[in-house]
Amino acid sequence: MEKKALLFDSDATSAAIARIADAVVHDFKTGELEDFAFVGIYENGVPLAERLAVEVEKRCGYHPVAAKLDISMYRDDVGMRSGLPLIRETVIPFEMNAAKVVLVDDVLSSGRTIRAALDAVTDYGRPALIYLAVLVDRGRTEYPIHADYAGLTAPEVSPKRKIRVEFAEDGSCEVHTVDWGRKHRTA
Amino acid sequence: MSFTWNRKDLLSLYDLRPEEITYLLDTAEEFKKVSQRKVKKVPALRGKTVVNFFVEPSTRTRVSFELAEQRLSADIINMSASVSSLTKGETLLDTVKNIEALQVDLVVMRHSATGAQNFIAKHLKCGVINAGDGAHSHPTQALLDIFTIREKKGRIEGLKVAIVGDILHSRVARSNIWGLLKLGASVTLVGPATLVPKEFEQVGVRVCHNLQEGLADADVVNLLRIQHERQAAGFFPSINEYARFFGINEHTVKFMKPDAMVMHPGPINRGVELEGSIADGPQSVILEQVTNGLAVRMAVLFLVAGCVQK
Amino acid sequence: MNDKFCLVNGRVVDPARNLDEVMPVAVNRGVIVDAAKIDDSYRRIDCTGKIVCPGFIDLHVHLRQPGNVAAETIASGTAAAAAGGFTAVVAMPNTSPAADNAGAIEYLRQMAARTGMVRVIPCGCLTKNYAGEEMAGIGSLAQAGVLALSDDGKCIQDHSLMRHVMQYARSFHLPVLDHCEENSLKGGGVMHEGTWSVLLGMSGIPSIAEELIVARDIMLARDTGCRIHIQHASTAGSVNLIRAARKKNLPVTGEATPHHLTLTDEMVKTYDTNYKMNPPLRSEEDRKALVKAVLDGTITVIATDHAPHTQTAKLVEFDNAPFGIIGLETAVPLTLGVLVHKGRMPISKYVSCFTAGPAQILSLDWDLAPGREANVTVLDLEDEFTIDASKFKSKARNTPFDHWKCKGRAVLTVSQGRIVHSLLD
Repeated sequence: MEKKALLFDSDATSAAIARIADAVVHDFKTGELEDFAFVGIYENGVPLAERLAVEVEKRCGYHPVAAKLDISMYRDDVGMRSGLPLIRETVIPFEMNAAKVVLVDDVLSSGRTIRAALDAVTDYGRPALIYLAVLVDRGRTEYPIHADYAGLTAPEVSPKRKIRVEFAEDGSCEVHTVDWGRKHRTA
Repeated sequence: MSFTWNRKDLLSLYDLRPEEITYLLDTAEEFKKVSQRKVKKVPALRGKTVVNFFVEPSTRTRVSFELAEQRLSADIINMSASVSSLTKGETLLDTVKNIEALQVDLVVMRHSATGAQNFIAKHLKCGVINAGDGAHSHPTQALLDIFTIREKKGRIEGLKVAIVGDILHSRVARSNIWGLLKLGASVTLVGPATLVPKEFEQVGVRVCHNLQEGLADADVVNLLRIQHERQAAGFFPSINEYARFFGINEHTVKFMKPDAMVMHPGPINRGVELEGSIADGPQSVILEQVTNGLAVRMAVLFLVAGCVQK
Repeated sequence: MNDKFCLVNGRVVDPARNLDEVMPVAVNRGVIVDAAKIDDSYRRIDCTGKIVCPGFIDLHVHLRQPGNVAAETIASGTAAAAAGGFTAVVAMPNTSPAADNAGAIEYLRQMAARTGMVRVIPCGCLTKNYAGEEMAGIGSLAQAGVLALSDDGKCIQDHSLMRHVMQYARSFHLPVLDHCEENSLKGGGVMHEGTWSVLLGMSGIPSIAEELIVARDIMLARDTGCRIHIQHASTAGSVNLIRAARKKNLPVTGEATPHHLTLTDEMVKTYDTNYKMNPPLRSEEDRKALVKAVLDGTITVIATDHAPHTQTAKLVEFDNAPFGIIGLETAVPLTLGVLVHKGRMPISKYVSCFTAGPAQILSLDWDLAPGREANVTVLDLEDEFTIDASKFKSKARNTPFDHWKCKGRAVLTVSQGRIVHSLLD
């Protein structure tokens, strides 16, 4: 059985999300938000992107697009996993060319998911820039990929533990650490 | 999310559970969108090698598979019986074992002998996708048919589907029957008794030898290609008589409900099983079937490749 | 060796003599001798709890020699026969070249004498090269010692030729064993035409392809007076035709194979070519009708249609595989299971299907009376074991029965006075 331990409670995550929203609003002037979009990566990047869009709207009155991205077709480990999850619907409701994109994911770990997401996003067009926002940065990526916005950092968590973010129905979330499942092979 | 696909082969819809069929269809929906993008390609099968081994000749199915493989970034080899060693007396098993020894990940195979894919899949570690075997099974055709029905009608359960034509020799019919029954549709087989065996009734299918009766309440009418050589074998007297009693034309189309959709796996014998104007008319979804075939085959390749362990 | 021995304490079941009692059976120099008059020089073999019967005859065996010795030889086929409890096999003439002339029969006789472990009874072709076109030299074949005639594997389609063949065969007192199959109805069929062929999309062989010829043969038997034996009857319809003919005392007999008594067409769904044979495995109703026909005496012979093929030949697509499976080493356990243990068949009737039944067709005196050639099969009805094809004496392995759990088998085989198989201490 996986032993579950609380890492950040919902107050800590709410504060972190607010910090990311502040930074985004600071970096992108209100006028530039017209061609700006959050792109949430399934699973947890999707609700996180939606929360960020709400937070941004609170700060500047403009609700940016919160797109959804499934990266299953872009993974580099087909055949190395025991089974494949269902591919979920990718929704990119804006023109990708020249867009300013902030990829959103819950945890930045190895960086492989973000690598796949970069391939996926660029297949939709040629964005002006791509930033990365994560709720928790483990601070030990295996690729030259780093978060532009990291709400929380957790470099002290052992590589033997997985960081799991759980969203409640109301959009609040908690961060836990658990043991990796038995079927795990690569991070 | 507890469900995961874990088959390295796709041989027949008879083998699949209803939830597996639904899962394939759901996956295909996302792959359909890939072909609608500007960049119609994903790296899902990058580095994988797929052999299209068509012991029985095929054009449209092979092209559809080949394009699906290209859109998934796989490396592709095409083989036909004439370029394989089968013509030199090598057994099928030896031929595919040799293919596998080249570190191939997937074999897409068509063969005129029923069960040939089931036979080789037992002996191979690489994945096997059935692109049609004898009169037995053509799972990707049935999946694309069912995908198209679901897309148009919004559901499969409770629908009435009529399949008209040479059921006896049709792998398309056999695959559709299993897929549709498993997803809760009811199936009527229509055609002369020489081509529609009554034994199908034993699996819960209605058998009907009169076109008007067979079409009366159908939501979907799937027409099968009639082969000229069946006339020589004495299954019916002439193409003309077949067309008159079992073809869909300006007169017989009135037997159908106005909102019934017309399907055909192709290639069509215009004026035989289906009048050209109806094939091109508003009830026809024949070209959408072709489009969906690509999406379904991408989904099948993607899921099966994911379960071939290396 | 084993020159003089006596099987003691066994239950002797000898249907031809209506005998069923515990008594000794003594053998000396290849002949059954009166056990009451034997001395201590006879080795005693304890058969307590076993059934001692006349040697089993398999009326339908393909030894493949000459022609396809990669699949089987007279040596390996007769070794398989011995291991399965058979003391004599009738060798089907569809070898290559075919046994359609006296020279071929002489070859078979010499090879059997030199390499055979059990008696090989020759059978000659009805037509030259069993092609169904010209009558074979039936008189010469009779003179060369064939005890039966058959075009097995093929069937004479020309009714006039079949009528002449039967008239002619009758002149030489030979029975005609017929593989009943109407070619145009069989078409390109590879399995029984029925629910499973329809569901699998395989070409079917309809029951009437067999029944039409069974009916013809029965009519010709009535017409010509020639004895006709229906080989490997497989359908309920065939069984009914045979039953009706026998009620009218027509010279008609029939045989059933162990596989048609135990398997059905559903097994083809595995695409295992070891379920491909001709006639094909039929429906469950046909199988039941066949069992019933054996139990009620309509069918008087169980024969294996032992048809060896190399692994290379069978390890192919179902459509492309040759028909046939081996049966010599599985026949007794399988039929004991379905007929005796399950069907409650009296053991004497069961033994008759392998002894008096085929012997009557071949016009052989076949019992355990003193003075007869010593051919004896000893059965253990209770011996439980698992079939292991890797241990077969046959060169071939094309059986669907590998790993089957069985109860009962032959534990001792005596052919022409020699012990050729023994599981006894």
